[in-house]
Amino acid sequence: MEKKSLMKRITGSREALLAAILILMIVVVTIINPAFFTPKSFSNLIKNNAVTMVMALGMLCVMLVGGIDISITSTLAFSGMWIGMLIKYEYISGTILPFLLAILIGTCCGFIVGLVISRADVPPIIATMGFMYIYRAMAYLISNGGEWASAAALGTFKDFATSRFLGLNCVVWVVIICYVIFFFFMRWTRLGRKIYAVGSNPEAAEVSGINVRNIKLMVYTIMGCLAGLAGALQVAVYASAMPNMQKGGEMDVIAACVIGGVSMSGGRGTVVGALLGALILATIAKALPLIPFFDQLWLNTIKGVIILVVVVMNVILQRTADANALKRREM
Amino acid sequence: MAGKSGRSINNVPESPIKHMIFSWEGILVLLFAAVNIFCAWFSEFYNVSSVLRQMPVYLAEVFLMLTMAFILVMGEIDISVGSIVCLAATISCIVCNAGAPFVIVVLVALLVGTVCGAVNGLILTRVPELPPMIVTLATQIIFRGIAEIILGSGGSVSLSNTAGFKAIAGKVGGQVPYILFLVLILGVIAAVILGKSTFGRKVYAIGTNRVTAHYSGIHVQKIRFIIYTVMGTISGLCALFIVSSSYGANTTTGEGFEMDAIAMAVFGGISSTGGKGNIAGGLIAAFIIVCLRIGLGQRNVHSQVILLIIGVLLVAAVALPNIIGQIQKAAKVKKS
Amino acid sequence: MSEYVLELKGITKIFPGVKALNNVQFQLKPGEVHALMGENGAGKSTFIKVITGVHKAEEGEMDLYGEKVDFKGPRDAQAAGIAAVYQHATSYPHLTVAENIFMGHEIVKHGMIQWNEMNKQAKELLQQLNSDFEATAEMGTLSVAQQQMVEIAKALSTNAKIIILDEPTASLTKRESEELYRIVDQLREKGVSIIFISHRFEDMYRLATRVTVFRDSQYIGTYDVDKITNADLIKAMVGREISDLYPKPKVKIGKEVLKVENFSRAGYYKNVSFSVRAGEIVGLTGLVGAGRTEVVESVCGVTHADEGKVYLDGKEVHINKPSDAMDLGIILLPEDRQKEGLIMSWGLGRNVTLPTMDKLAKNGFNDEPKEREVSRDLLESVDTKAVDIFQPASSLSGGNQQKVVVAKALGQEMKVVIMDEPTKGVDVGAKAEIYAIMGELAQKGYAIVLISSEMPEILGMSDRIVVMCNGRKTGELSREEATQEVILELSMEKSTKSGKGDKQ
Repeated sequence: MEKKSLMKRITGSREALLAAILILMIVVVTIINPAFFTPKSFSNLIKNNAVTMVMALGMLCVMLVGGIDISITSTLAFSGMWIGMLIKYEYISGTILPFLLAILIGTCCGFIVGLVISRADVPPIIATMGFMYIYRAMAYLISNGGEWASAAALGTFKDFATSRFLGLNCVVWVVIICYVIFFFFMRWTRLGRKIYAVGSNPEAAEVSGINVRNIKLMVYTIMGCLAGLAGALQVAVYASAMPNMQKGGEMDVIAACVIGGVSMSGGRGTVVGALLGALILATIAKALPLIPFFDQLWLNTIKGVIILVVVVMNVILQRTADANALKRREM
Repeated sequence: MAGKSGRSINNVPESPIKHMIFSWEGILVLLFAAVNIFCAWFSEFYNVSSVLRQMPVYLAEVFLMLTMAFILVMGEIDISVGSIVCLAATISCIVCNAGAPFVIVVLVALLVGTVCGAVNGLILTRVPELPPMIVTLATQIIFRGIAEIILGSGGSVSLSNTAGFKAIAGKVGGQVPYILFLVLILGVIAAVILGKSTFGRKVYAIGTNRVTAHYSGIHVQKIRFIIYTVMGTISGLCALFIVSSSYGANTTTGEGFEMDAIAMAVFGGISSTGGKGNIAGGLIAAFIIVCLRIGLGQRNVHSQVILLIIGVLLVAAVALPNIIGQIQKAAKVKKS
Repeated sequence: MSEYVLELKGITKIFPGVKALNNVQFQLKPGEVHALMGENGAGKSTFIKVITGVHKAEEGEMDLYGEKVDFKGPRDAQAAGIAAVYQHATSYPHLTVAENIFMGHEIVKHGMIQWNEMNKQAKELLQQLNSDFEATAEMGTLSVAQQQMVEIAKALSTNAKIIILDEPTASLTKRESEELYRIVDQLREKGVSIIFISHRFEDMYRLATRVTVFRDSQYIGTYDVDKITNADLIKAMVGREISDLYPKPKVKIGKEVLKVENFSRAGYYKNVSFSVRAGEIVGLTGLVGAGRTEVVESVCGVTHADEGKVYLDGKEVHINKPSDAMDLGIILLPEDRQKEGLIMSWGLGRNVTLPTMDKLAKNGFNDEPKEREVSRDLLESVDTKAVDIFQPASSLSGGNQQKVVVAKALGQEMKVVIMDEPTKGVDVGAKAEIYAIMGELAQKGYAIVLISSEMPEILGMSDRIVVMCNGRKTGELSREEATQEVILELSMEKSTKSGKGDKQ
């Protein structure tokens, strides 16, 4: 009996299931190619996907309240381009200042998006589509029409991505810190739980005195803040700033969340889920070239199929669960 | 059991003219005129013949808007169309290069589009719990992914025989491109179907209140399937004209088209939450955007600036009526 | 100090276009259970929301313990010790029970939510209520009754001195209701004052000492429960004698039209059979949640039964979707007018022709002039109080909206009309008109199924009454046999009988 309930808890918990899938994937690929899983390669995996992983946290918040944000990679480009150009023309230097500046710019961008959505009631998909165009175009404008800030121009800033702290790459530290903060924020603070409440039942949230509009404003601002941070990370990791960076990358972020079990209609999703979703996507991308027959060209197709399978499976599981619950109902 | 109280209910509609002038479409017509005046002032090359010459590249996306309008009116969204365009363009280029007659190429492009659309439709109607956004996000990645596999490591294909595609890029009297006629004809057909047919009325019913539509005997899933499938077919058509202007296809063909089509429709007053808007608005909005692109492009204004303007127009077009509505409502409550 | 814990005077609340409350008053004594009664739409729910700060009244004043208070929002009311358990559970289905209980007043230390402490306290509260589920269960997995328990636990967790229960027994079984009565008694002993909204007289007699009646957004009076007769109370609520309300004409009943046999759908209903004859009105009643709506929805193809057969005019028919049912001549007028019956933002004309537009169309195109003719005639035939056919359905009152729903059914040749709670939320005048229409339909030879929870309506209109309880048919009564007591008896689950009944 005890054993069964434990089994049930593991299969019942999405996170456990995803973790099992991730571990299985890593084990299989490591058997095929032992070079795949070493501490160094894992650290690189996180470093190369830091941008997606960080933004997945913001997307989690946005999707929890039933929204979506496709302007994030434009915000990333805008904030990244700002600091790239400022460093290039030697207005600023160092590491901390550009990071803070990028975060500030991103936060402002997100705040504006949030205002339009929460105050003018523009549907999130439309509002963020508009800002996707606007921020991307602004990134071009500040780049003097497509100018790059290349590695040489970035001075010491790019060293951030190669330097280490306590034996770990600094970018990995940033990702870890973000995830730890959000893990606590979403689970242990009232504000974090309010996000869940608004997503789960907005009317009830309103009745119990939660300001739904402000929570919506807040999640888009958080999203912008993280997109700004991701902008700085992007510039540091790839040692360049260009206006079209991460174009289309917002879909990867959404995909990571969806695979991680974040519901599009709000209310459901966890930080751990988002983490696992992002890691699964990253692992597939990295493992694919190592598997015979498949090559890099298949990456997107496989990614798409996985998203589809995950969401369809979800529905089927839900349907069976509902059907079983109904059968159990006494009459 | 006619009217016990003898009350009679008016069924004579008001004259539609008053309604037309104060509608969003009315504003768009004025805006269209304003944009043209602005462009003529801004660029000395802006005239009828230059607009007609430069139009075809931009018009291909207007096809997508026509069917996207149906999807938006249903309260749904399809973000896979850009990828369908890519896949259809890729396969039609390859079929054309293999020496197939042009008729076959056209059919293949339409067929590929239709199949892709039907895949979307099938998933969405079999698993109606799924949000269209997520399903079409997945198929967006898959359709482009398949095109990437087909294109191989080079990532592009160019036409070896351009004769057929040159023919569809032709012009009536050397001036007016075929595509303009096709856009207008399909536009009228779409407008009539959405505005005048029972099918269109059902689409509005689904978009406004899906449950009531279902209870009232409307085959909601059948209509959804048809619309997503036709969306695919039209994407195939769009692909043909894209190839006819670029003489090839690559992995980025059609990228962002879904957003452009949605932007045109929403700017044209078609609500993304369903039930509102019409094809006429979408078409006028599309032509405003096309003219703006041509006019600004003639003076070498960066395409990103044009996108910036479109972005602002899009947000403003949806936000402003809402804000005005909120202010009016607040004033009303205060009054009473 | 005033003799009342809570006193409201001259409260008026205006929504755009309607006065939801018109100069109403209310007094609550310490430690009493005060019933608030009135028909649907009388303004009870709005009134509760004024007390709890969700709505702000345009006029009037509220005194708490003799002092004037002015709540800016639900939070203020909560802080002042007022808690409400709403009719529609206001829970968060994705969150745990404990979190639902403590939403808004979580136990926080150093800015961190104390989950262990919260779970422990939630468990204690649930134990007090004798509930049988874990504090860590996900809210969405609980039954309606269990969710109601959580809502009550939530009210207790705020140490509320005034608790408002808005139709708490509407979806509870008899046994669960008993449990609730016990809890309410327990609360009263602790000195909590309770405002209790219910449609069930049983609840009121069992619990309340005083009762206040609202009607048509107005205050009618406050009475001692043991001093007012049932008839007087109904008169106060309805505003007239019941007998005038039901103009049931004498109709010659024809042959059997619709027969439903052994209908079963897992989790919703089991082995339900009934039939309707031409010109007959069959009342289908039972408590909310008894499976009545679910049965007729399956009959009409909105959902599907797992087992069972439907016969129309003696022939078996297969109905897969609502349009099949309509083609055969069976139409369902759903319970929720705003969500299922009408497209609120559309004009009346288009609403009326929604099910029939294919038949009115020419070659797939809408024949608008003809539609306008037809819809006007139909709207006039049910005597809709409307100015023109273009005004949106949302501009009509509930009763007139219901008439539009009826008009939708009359646009085509129908044999069976199934009406699900046709008078829910409809004012008394419009109710009588809807009953009159129903009577006329019966005279015209329609077979009518009337689903209703309102006892007088069922007794007044039906030729035959089918009672359901917990997914099963528990009895069938002729008009002569039927009394309020018998129907109530059949509607309530009996612990002794259900054990045997299951095995049959």
